[in-house]
Amino acid sequence: MTKRIVIDPVTRIEGHLRIDVEVDGGVVRKAWSSGQMFRGIETILLGRDPRDAWLFTQRFCGVCTTVHAIASVRAVENALKMEVPLNAQYIRNLIVLAHAMHDHIVHFYQLSALDWVDVVSALKADPARASALAEGLSKWPNNSRQQLKAVQEKVRRFVDAGQLGIFTNGYWGHPAMKLPPEVNLLAVSHYLQALEYQRKVNQIVALLGGKTPNIQNLAVGGVANAINLDNEATLNMNKLYMVKDILDETGAFIEQVYFPDVCAIAGMYPDWLGYGAGVTNYLAVPDIPLDTKGGSFDLPGGTIFDGDLATVRQIKTFDDWYFKKNVSESIAHAWYDGEWTKHPFEEETVARYTGFEDSKKYSWVKAPRFQGKVVQVGPLAQVLVGYAVGHEPTKRWTDKALETAGSVAGAGLTPAVLHSTLGRHAARVIRACVLSELARKHWGLLAANIGKGDTAIFNEPVFPKGEQRGFGFHEAPRGALSHWIVIRDGKIANYQAVVPSTWNAGPRDEEGRPGPYEASLVGNPVANAELPLEVLRTVHSFDPCLACAVHTLDPGGREIARVRAL
Amino acid sequence: MLTPGEVRVLGLGNVLMGDDAFGPWVIEELLASWQFPDGVRLLDVGTPGLDLTPYLADADTVLLLDTVKAEAPAGTIRVYSREQLLSRPPEPRLSPHDPGVADALLALDCAGGAPRDVILIGVVPGRVAKGIGLTPAVQEAVVRAASEVVERLEGLGLAPHRQAPAWPAAPWWEGGRDSAAPSRPLTSP
Repeated sequence: MTKRIVIDPVTRIEGHLRIDVEVDGGVVRKAWSSGQMFRGIETILLGRDPRDAWLFTQRFCGVCTTVHAIASVRAVENALKMEVPLNAQYIRNLIVLAHAMHDHIVHFYQLSALDWVDVVSALKADPARASALAEGLSKWPNNSRQQLKAVQEKVRRFVDAGQLGIFTNGYWGHPAMKLPPEVNLLAVSHYLQALEYQRKVNQIVALLGGKTPNIQNLAVGGVANAINLDNEATLNMNKLYMVKDILDETGAFIEQVYFPDVCAIAGMYPDWLGYGAGVTNYLAVPDIPLDTKGGSFDLPGGTIFDGDLATVRQIKTFDDWYFKKNVSESIAHAWYDGEWTKHPFEEETVARYTGFEDSKKYSWVKAPRFQGKVVQVGPLAQVLVGYAVGHEPTKRWTDKALETAGSVAGAGLTPAVLHSTLGRHAARVIRACVLSELARKHWGLLAANIGKGDTAIFNEPVFPKGEQRGFGFHEAPRGALSHWIVIRDGKIANYQAVVPSTWNAGPRDEEGRPGPYEASLVGNPVANAELPLEVLRTVHSFDPCLACAVHTLDPGGREIARVRAL
Repeated sequence: MLTPGEVRVLGLGNVLMGDDAFGPWVIEELLASWQFPDGVRLLDVGTPGLDLTPYLADADTVLLLDTVKAEAPAGTIRVYSREQLLSRPPEPRLSPHDPGVADALLALDCAGGAPRDVILIGVVPGRVAKGIGLTPAVQEAVVRAASEVVERLEGLGLAPHRQAPAWPAAPWWEGGRDSAAPSRPLTSP
């Protein structure tokens, strides 16, 4: 019998993601991904000064604040054909890198680890064995028997008191949970430690950005961080060394905790290196510029089609025509007026809500396409492009991840396993390791450049009469983000943000081709339709961030997953 | 940078979504009209979801300003205790926005660093939809909520001092003071 499962969390956020799947014979046969809130927030920018756009765009989303600020200033700079001083590039790079490391750590531990880790099972673990197991995987000092025992006792107190606190919402004892108690205990311990690193990395953004979560130091043309090594109020050596210390500590956590944890989970759930591939066309944009005009980068970008790394084609500059020409959005299945597929410069956003209809319109999210093809974005896309073009740190960390997970699984693993649900988690930690190395590199570049006596931070933007068009992209934690701006006589005439979760969570297009979330869910097993853990695993692996908006605390509460027989 | 042991007043909400700007608005009102002693920090934190945790961690008391769903007319202010905020178990999450205040508090209860006390000062919103500006009922509640914050701070022995408004009451997103990029005034379209 076919059953339909609707996962529709209503918490403090309105404008969330809704996932519908049809399950038959214990397998997902069809899936729909729906954004439940109108995302036409760009219209707020019309008529404004392009120099102010970033202040507003960083309010699109409370989680991805800095990424929308960065993409926005890049779009205006592209429209004006501006260069940005080296110091400004390095400072922006450090903010972007710190934000991404923070985001990846939080995503894995706080948002998705409990899809794989059974907290209650950790009570059965032998802390001494867990500690010995950890020693074989990592030199992290905080895996001692005493520390693990303390964590276990803390969990036991929660369970004995009849409440699991933060862990209440897990699917404990679900048949799809397979980790031994010792691994569960280690993971719970690292979950708690990750909260501390979430706080630490956030301090880098505060030190360089002036404030978190909404940074204050950006400007079209550069940054507003005055550099004076002798002045307490400006960016000085004292602040730079605080940044360096946090980068070192965070790098250790990523390499010695996050990396082995993901490899161990991948090795112990080898089936999930087979489920969840979905769309195997990939798009990543280059980032972490090394020069003033965005012509060379420390992170490669490009496209890969049909899962074949040999098809890689690079995107090489901030003005790359291959990217600029080939992005479009379809509204065939989205609640907007019309049926069109258009380039972002030509789009207009006219909402027309008609209710959820499987074969017609069912989402507020548009369906972006690249060269007319469905593509997947995110860390997996970025890592595969890096691997395909021989990017040294990406290749080194990818090979190490495959080897480590392979030794846990007792099987040789090739990059082909990355096209999967757990492959997306593996790619995210591989990327985090690469970003951590790049953050330390760009810290050195900034310090050396200031040391040479260069304190330039800003080039004044000049707005000519008439119309200019520009686009700015950023390889954000969730993938390729692009902002598209049309400026007329110094004012914003059109603005579109094509966000990563739109690429991945988008609905079917005019040809009925499903988006990446939808395609990746088909074929997933579902052991118990009442507890659709497997569906959450695949959706979470994309790191969805869709709300980009409002919240109202709701003291009432509502049901989350609904199941009905068809 | 956040300091352990301080009292934090956090404005939650999206300034681009009508009455959802209430929390950030109250922060602007407080910063314009009052001077605060050391040990009190006011922050507009937007809609951080899962990223709220660092702003709660290691604080003494946290006063949260937010919109709340309640059966009451728009502009009504409701105050909730920590126990009320935690009265409902956390729910499964799909996105990092889904976890709310309760999740962040429970995470710190478990990991350490939970604030000594948390109080939510909430307003019932009128219109929450894309657009800048508060509805009259919620606009009128801004000063009342600010007074509530001042009274709570007095109760904690951290009374602020009233000052002549340091800038026009309208915040930067309504074309007023440019708090985010002080070198240049913002202009509304």
